[in-house]
Parts: sequence; C-alpha cells; structure tokens
Amino acid sequence: MTYFPEEVVEHIFDFVGSHRDRNTVSTVCKAWYQVERLSRRTVFVGNCYAIRPERVMARFPGIKSLSVKGKPHFADFNLVPYDWGGFALPWIEAAARRCPGLEELRLKRMVVTDDGLELLARSFPNFKSLVLISCEGFSTDGLAAIATYCRGLRELDLQENEVEDHGCQWLSFFPDSCTSLVSLNFGCLKGEVNGGALERLVARCPNLRSLKLNRAVSVESLNKILARASHLVDLGTGSFAVDHRTDAYHTLMNSFPKFKSLRNLSGFWDASPCCLRAVYPVCTNLTVLNLSYAPAIQGDDLIKIICLCFKLQKLWVLDSIGDKGLAVVASTCKELQELRVFPCDIYGAGTTSVTEEGLLAVSSGCPKLNSLLYFCYQMTNAALITVAKNCPHFTRFRLCILDPGKPDPVTNQPLDEGFGAIVRSCKNLRRLSLSGLLTDQVFLYIGMYAEHLEMLSIAFAGDSDKGMIYVLNGCKNLRKLEIRDCPFGDIALLKNVAKYETMRSLWMSSCDITLGGCKALAAKMPRLNVEIINENEETDEFEENLSDLHKLEKIYVYRTVAGPRNDAPDFVWTL
Amino acid sequence: MGDQSNSPSSSIDSSSHPALCSPSSIFQTRRDLLSTDLKLGLGLSTSALHGCSSKEREQLSHWPPIKPLLRSTLEEKVHRSHSKTFFVKVYMEGLPIGRKLDLFSHNGYDSLMRTLRRMFRTTITCPDTSRVPPEKAHVLTYEDEEGDWMMVGDVPWEFFLRTVKRLKITRADKC
Repeated sequence: MTYFPEEVVEHIFDFVGSHRDRNTVSTVCKAWYQVERLSRRTVFVGNCYAIRPERVMARFPGIKSLSVKGKPHFADFNLVPYDWGGFALPWIEAAARRCPGLEELRLKRMVVTDDGLELLARSFPNFKSLVLISCEGFSTDGLAAIATYCRGLRELDLQENEVEDHGCQWLSFFPDSCTSLVSLNFGCLKGEVNGGALERLVARCPNLRSLKLNRAVSVESLNKILARASHLVDLGTGSFAVDHRTDAYHTLMNSFPKFKSLRNLSGFWDASPCCLRAVYPVCTNLTVLNLSYAPAIQGDDLIKIICLCFKLQKLWVLDSIGDKGLAVVASTCKELQELRVFPCDIYGAGTTSVTEEGLLAVSSGCPKLNSLLYFCYQMTNAALITVAKNCPHFTRFRLCILDPGKPDPVTNQPLDEGFGAIVRSCKNLRRLSLSGLLTDQVFLYIGMYAEHLEMLSIAFAGDSDKGMIYVLNGCKNLRKLEIRDCPFGDIALLKNVAKYETMRSLWMSSCDITLGGCKALAAKMPRLNVEIINENEETDEFEENLSDLHKLEKIYVYRTVAGPRNDAPDFVWTL
Repeated sequence: MGDQSNSPSSSIDSSSHPALCSPSSIFQTRRDLLSTDLKLGLGLSTSALHGCSSKEREQLSHWPPIKPLLRSTLEEKVHRSHSKTFFVKVYMEGLPIGRKLDLFSHNGYDSLMRTLRRMFRTTITCPDTSRVPPEKAHVLTYEDEEGDWMMVGDVPWEFFLRTVKRLKITRADKC
C-alpha cells in the first residue's frame, strides 16, 4: 500500500466512512495517518473535555463538519449544576482560526453564547448547517447574527435549547437574498416570532422541506405559511389551537390534503381533538408522529388518528394512549421501529396510563420494533420475557418504572429475570436503561450477555458493589455508564480502574463513593479526570479539612488527553 | 415477621413517612418494607410524594427522567388541574365596584355567560351571534397576558384560561 501515490490512498479512504474505521486506519503507519488526517471531513468529539479544540483543528485542517458534546447525559434531568461547563466558544474560536472551510456544526449539551454565535456566523463563509441540541446560554440576538451573516445557510435546527427571548425580530434578519433554507426548527423558543417575516422567509425558500414552529405560532399564521410551503416533508405545527367555529379552522381543514410529501408531524401544543382532525388526510403517508406535547388529547382521539397511520415508523405519545391505544398501534403500525411513551401525570398515581399489557401488544404486533422508551407504573418479569422473545432486534431499550424500586406486582419479585431475558435475547442491544426493583443479579446478566452494550443507565438498583463490578468486568463495548441512587461504593469504583480508559465517561450520583476512593482512582489513573461536583456550600470552606471518608454527592470520571480542565467552576474539583 | 437480616431498621413508624422523601430513602423504604413482608403498593409512594415539603419536592424533581421542555408542558397541565380555583376580577362599565369570579368552576363560555348575566343582571352577547345587539346589551371582554383587551369567545376555552387576566363587561356600541 505504501507504493501507491497519496491520491490513490486518499481515494480509497473516501470509502471509509465511519469515525471508528477512520480512527483505526490512521493508526496503521505515519503515511496513512497523514493522508487520513488531511482528507478527513467529519469529526465527532463525544466529550469536549477529552481533547483540546486546538489539537483537533491542527490535526484535521480540512474538516467541513464538526460535532461536539458537552455535559453528561444526566444534565437533561437537572442533575448537573447550571454552570458546570461545556463551553462552545473555545471550539468555535479554534475552528475559526484553523478550519475556515467549516460548513456544519453540531453541538449537544453545551453552553453557547451570543458572542460565540456571532463569531461563528462571521468566520465561515461556506457555513451551511447549525444544529444545537439541549444547549443554553444564548438568546435570540445570537440567532439574529446567524441569520444576518450566514449566507447560504441551509439548516438551523434548535432542539430543546434554553434560549433567552430578546424579541421577535431575529427572523427578520434573514436577508431577502436568503433563499437557501432547507430546514428551520425553532420549536424550543418561548417567545413570539415576527409572523410576516416568517411567512416571507418561507415563501422565498423553495427548497424548504423541514419547518418546526414554536408554540407561539398561531393557527392563523400557520395557515398563511402552509399556503406557501406545499413541499414540506417535516412539519412542527406550533400551537394548533383554534376554535372550530372560526374561518381559521376551516382553512386549516382544507390545507392538509395538498401536502403530498408530508411525512413527519410534531408540535400540537394546544391542540384539541377537533383540531387534530385536520391532519387525518395526511396520516396514511406519515412515517413520524410526535404527539408528546399534546396533553389535551385523550386516548380515544389518539386512537382515531393512529388507526390511519399504517406506514408509521416512529411514534412518540403520552401514556394517555393507554393499553387500549397501544393495541391499536400494534394492529395498525406494522412498520413501527421506534416507540416512545411518556408519562402524562408525573406526580399522581397514574390512573390512565400504560402497563405491561400495552408493551406486550406492541412487541407482538410490530415485528420491526428496535427502539423503545417506555414510562409506566408497573412491569412484570413475564411480560419482559415475552417481549424479549418477540423482539430480538432491540438496539435501544429504555424502561422507566415511575415508582423507584417497584417489584413485579404479580410475583413481588425483582425484575432481574425480565431484564436478563432482554439482554440475552437482544444481541445487538447498544443502549439500556433499567428501573424497578433490581438486585445484583441483573448486573450479572448484563455483564455476561450484553456484549454490544455501549450505554447503560441505572437508578435505584442493586444491593452491593458486586453489581457495578459485574458490569465493569463484562460489557466489553461499554462507553457510557451513568448511575444514580445505587449502593455502589469505593470497592466497586476501584475494582477495574483500567476499564475507565476504554470508556468515554462514568457518572455516579447519590451512591456510596467517598473522597478517599476518588483520590485513589485519580492517583492510579493519571489519564482520567476525576471530577467531584460539590454543591454543598458548607464543605466549600472546609475543603482541606474534608476527611477521606466524606461521601460524595456527584462524581464524573472521564478519559482525556487534555489534562484537568481550566474552566471548572468553584464547586467542581478535579483530583 | 419476615426476614430482617437485610434491613438496617426493621420497623418504619408510619408518622415518619412524609420525612422519607428523598429518592434514595424512598428506595430504602421500599426495600425495608419488602424485607419485613409488608405489602404496601403504589399507594405508599404516591402519598409520600404528596406529603413532601417543597424542598423534598425539589430533590424529587429530578425524577422521572424527562427533559425540561416536556416537564414544563406537563407541569402546566398539572398546575391547572391541581389548582382548584382561578378567581379573576370582573368589572362592568359604569360600576366602580367589581366582582370576583372563579373561572375553574365553569366548563365553557356558555356557563360563564350565564353566571355573568345573573351576577350583573344584563344581557351579554357572544361574538358569534349574528343578531345586532340592542343598545342596552353588553359584550364581554378580557385582558390577556400581553395587556390587550380582547373579545371573549374567539379562542378555545382552554386557551382562554391560559391567557385571561381579568374580565370587563362593556357596552356593545363601544366594540
């Protein structure tokens, strides 16, 4: 291979797509390392603190697409303090200096500022796509900068971000010459947008295929937009609340039949049952339907819409659908691959919700089901064993029993056997979340059988250190382990320290880890950052006097070549 | 009694239940109760949740694991249904003293109109009646969250409840 000219090697590498394969290829020899690094166009950084941005840009000067993730996953559930870190600016600055050809940036769980967005907008003349997921720290002013300076922008996708509202004018900053938008998603914005500017923008972008409006967009405005955007494939409807006695309602009812290309629907924030009727004409072509933000829609109305959706591949609903509704899903949606059922009533006893019956029905009726997120109040081992038999193709299985530590209600046993059946049967399982009453036994099964498992989330489970040890000693592909409220202590933490260098990160909160245990880990493994997150104000002052026996509330351990980070706030100590 | 070798404290005083509200202590309670062979089901944990102080609720707000956007959408619905009353001020044009009205005790515009007609002894017309209102009749308006005065009845009832701040009965010929 070394006798081939570089161009040939580079051409061959073009066919090597995945990050992992390209990483492997680059380690073969110096020549291949060089060719690979100069021809790499896409880089994915799973933990922004694992490597310094300057090193990434120096190694890959030709990148067009960069994806970076910041905070640990449990930040989604408020377990990570607000100013823990994950700043995007250093990445944007480094890219601006070394990689001006950047076209796409995707950031997840990072702190992005308006200054950062402005720098981004001004630094990359070919910039085409910005995707921000679960980020915070910026306002609509930053969006205005993106609109103003990114000529040729194709995609602006904002998912689940905390955006400060500085007014509705940001959309007006897209110049009249901007006609390139393909995808625009501002569903997470809380404030109003300038309706006229939005309508004009939609009208002048003939390639617009994905448009997700926020809750503040009224049906009147939606009607005007829909009149100009009949080629939409993906629509987030905005508020979708309208009185059926009004003209706006009749216009809406007449709008949908002409959307021949519509495949994805979401939004529906304030939709009432009669408004939902407007979408019936497009249901037969839908592949994705997200009704999880529509708590006003009850089971029977959900059933009416679902029984039309026989091409559905992805369905997100609230548990008001009930077992009865899931039976309809099972008999109608034979193409279903992904199902998410969210809890409607997060404080109550769940009188109208789903049980193991609903899951059983879907598992037997939907042969292609491979991804599940299911919130319920009870689950049985028998059901899980049957689900495992029915659906051996699960790649993602997340079950959340809302009552922590709840056993099988029929047998009063832990759910070890049920989850054991899942990991034994689903040989391609990459992601698993456990709940309910679980002993160390389930972790023995996971360690033994979950060979391809990459991400494991555990809460209120296990009896002793053995549980965590089983997982760390098995699961050879484990990348992310996140644990909360489990009786795992220093013995488990220190049993297999080399494992952590093969993983991206470990999160443990409300467990039995002590300061001494973390110090020992940090001493043994210099290439790990062992972060202690201590929000208790009292212990701040007594930092030096803290005994090694002091139990730690939150720790975050991750491999890194960048050393301890220099942007950690006061309450984060890196050992 | 059941096997007590696993439980650090074998007897749980029922009066201490509201205090056992952090997720890990609910978990411990679960395990302890099981090991002492008490079969308390779903009822216990939900009553424990309801019996919590607001600080304990804070800790529990990290459970269930749902993202903030969904959580705030659902909490809005919960607050709406848990708050049993929603009193707003009602003034009639020309009368300096206003009244107060519980909007939650009505299930729609018709019910609201009937109550107001009774309270103020006047005819209140709706926007969708085509009949031209006589001089003496009034229309019902409301102040929304942006401070604008709007005609009552244009938007769905649930939507109205979300935005209404107070009501005013004005003379029909002013609209």
